[in-house]
Amino acid sequence: MRSASCSDGPSSPWELVPFACPLMRAAALLRGPGSLLLRASSGCWCRRFWAASGEAAAAAASPGSGARSPFDRQLKRKQKNWAALQPEPAKYDYLREEVGGRVADRVFDITRTFPLALDVGCGSGYIAQYLNKETVEKLFQVDMAENALKNTMETEIPTVSVVADEEFLPFKEDTFDLVVSSLSLHWVNDLPRAFREIHQVLKPDGVFIGAMFGGETLYELRCSLQLAELEREGGFSPHVSPFTDVTDLGHLLGRAGFNTLTVDTDEIQVNYPGMFEVMEDLQGKYIFHKQRMGESNCSWNRKPILHRETMLAAAAIYQEMYGSNDGSVPATFQIYYMIGWKFQESQARPAQRGSATVSFGDLAKINALISREKK
Amino acid sequence: MSGQGVWLRARERLRRFPELLAGCRDQAAAYGKCVAATTTGPAELRKDVCTKEFEALKECFTQAAKKTMK
Repeated sequence: MRSASCSDGPSSPWELVPFACPLMRAAALLRGPGSLLLRASSGCWCRRFWAASGEAAAAAASPGSGARSPFDRQLKRKQKNWAALQPEPAKYDYLREEVGGRVADRVFDITRTFPLALDVGCGSGYIAQYLNKETVEKLFQVDMAENALKNTMETEIPTVSVVADEEFLPFKEDTFDLVVSSLSLHWVNDLPRAFREIHQVLKPDGVFIGAMFGGETLYELRCSLQLAELEREGGFSPHVSPFTDVTDLGHLLGRAGFNTLTVDTDEIQVNYPGMFEVMEDLQGKYIFHKQRMGESNCSWNRKPILHRETMLAAAAIYQEMYGSNDGSVPATFQIYYMIGWKFQESQARPAQRGSATVSFGDLAKINALISREKK
Repeated sequence: MSGQGVWLRARERLRRFPELLAGCRDQAAAYGKCVAATTTGPAELRKDVCTKEFEALKECFTQAAKKTMK
């Protein structure tokens, strides 16, 4: 029954995958106790989860599984809801806080006031807490987990909370001046569609500022697990959800209709005592007792069991290959920040090729050029 | 399988991994080096290429687990 709630779909355990991106969801072994821990903690919540996990399994078995939708959104929603209910979320959400702050910085960089803004996948409102009334006059916060919306952080901006899926935004076209999203689009099944939806709800000359996990995220964990599984079991399968590549991101945004794209990347390295702490920090945050972030792997082709021996082997490899002298190990989070604009006539366009009037070679004489023009 | 007991115990066991692993640094390092060597050298990483080192690590680990259980 527990493995049913894992909803694995029709994957063979030894599928060799060209990438394996573990967002560590340490094994059904841990998920099992997790779902039962829920029972211990609150009666009616767990009963709902239990019943719902049945339907998640059913949903999983049918069109959900496979390449078209690698993520089980139902499961994700439950995880997020559960994570949001835990006390002291702030302590564990340092990553989302940090990235939320950096996205807010980019909003401030645009010297405009946005009358109406939308935060897609807002969580506890990580971005909103850094923004002020001069920049954003009214904010809609959208998340698929209603519990997250109930505990949003304080912000001086008037907000409206909406429970909705990122792939099906319930807003009319041309509504928002600004759309932001921080670390929530990497779970979306149909990313092109999500981008199209965002583009649609934006007003002309509106801007979308987003942050997503990049392909290098958690590569140490991913590699250690792969090597351990290869050596111990003879094959490996993905335990970490797939992250978008930067070139793909550019193409997706372009196809969705955004103009004047910029994508820049940032790496945040967090040090942990060891691999188990990494796994607990990511995974545990999401389902289990102490966990907050809600990011455990909902990928369909998870292998059901990550054997304890393999985990031990992986921990040893992680330490040896990536550990530092003092015994701590790093975990890398690569973040892509993207900015895209919705077209409007008044926007500056790139000039035609061959229309230059001065050459770069004349840069040295720029003072002379300027004074000549003044005359 | 029934009862939360089983799962809670399993979870507890896993929680102790880091401290148990701390007591087996040498074996872990040996195993890690063995695997890392296959990624750079001409030898391919295949199943059970480093079994010896892993068995040593597992032995150390189980010993440590037994000791702390008492």
